[in-house]
Amino acid sequence: MSEQERRPEDDGQDFASAAWSIPSYLLAGMAIYGGGGWLLDRWLDTSAFFPIGIVLGIVLSVYLVYRKYGR
Amino acid sequence: MNALTVLNPQDQFKAPTPDELFNLPPIIPGVDWFTKPVLLALLSAVIVIGFFWAAFASPKIVPRGVQNAAEVGYMFVRDQVARPFLGKDADRWMGLLLSLFFLVFAWNIMGVIPFAQFPVASHIAFPAVLAISIYVLKVYLGVRHQGPIGYFKNMMFPPGLPKPIYILLSPIEFLSNLIIAPFTHAVRLFANMFAGHMLLAFFSMVGFWFLFEHLTPLGAPIGVIGVVMTIIFTAFEMFIQFLQAFLFAMLASMYIGGSLHAEH
Repeated sequence: MSEQERRPEDDGQDFASAAWSIPSYLLAGMAIYGGGGWLLDRWLDTSAFFPIGIVLGIVLSVYLVYRKYGR
Repeated sequence: MNALTVLNPQDQFKAPTPDELFNLPPIIPGVDWFTKPVLLALLSAVIVIGFFWAAFASPKIVPRGVQNAAEVGYMFVRDQVARPFLGKDADRWMGLLLSLFFLVFAWNIMGVIPFAQFPVASHIAFPAVLAISIYVLKVYLGVRHQGPIGYFKNMMFPPGLPKPIYILLSPIEFLSNLIIAPFTHAVRLFANMFAGHMLLAFFSMVGFWFLFEHLTPLGAPIGVIGVVMTIIFTAFEMFIQFLQAFLFAMLASMYIGGSLHAEH
């Protein structure tokens, strides 16, 4: 179709890519820092780092999503 | 198993198990790979090819019949799937995205077509192959358009963050983009189709069992509920099947767009 029908849909694009990236970022954050905490726990024979790691991972993922897609 | 059969006599309702529903025997005995999902997957491909062949083999300026329907489908994919993410590159990728959307839609809709009644994507191998293909394409395009170093730099170091925080956030970006994204791409389609097929099979078994196999005064209302729920969920499933096909193509378009242009 013509040029003028191709409206700038950047807002929709940003919204969609944010919406579909968030679960993946959250999972990745939990996996990396939760996994790191779990390994630390195994190594040091403790049990506190695994939950701390998971929470840290979520916090960092939310921060990343906020900085990337938030204003 | 024996203890179960004692507790579960012949005249009790048994819900269908995933093994019964998804572990289907070969159609031709001896040819182990040729099962119902394989047949339906091939049939879907033939249907999609035939549909677009019939529509666009000799296109008319004023579309009629099949061409009209195919053009509506094309416009939908172009305006809702391709253009929001690919912008001016949309037309170059329409061949891939259109095939992808209609193939997945045909796979899914097989779940409610009488006698077929099996959503192909409820076997994870089928969506996994599509997701892996898109993943390979995504990485190839990213390396080609942004350079091997530039691609990973743009992906793992999004601009505008304080420097020390990259140590903490880059692993998240890496894992999210290169490992979890293709995984969720396939699993989202698979899980929706798997669960939908289970639900439909369960409610139709309830209706069939309580109304036809084992009609009792107390069981009949449950059977009626089963039939009504089957009808409602069939309509709901058709919506989900369309939605998941759309999402699968949309995510493919999003990944391709992200590889063509670095995020700003």
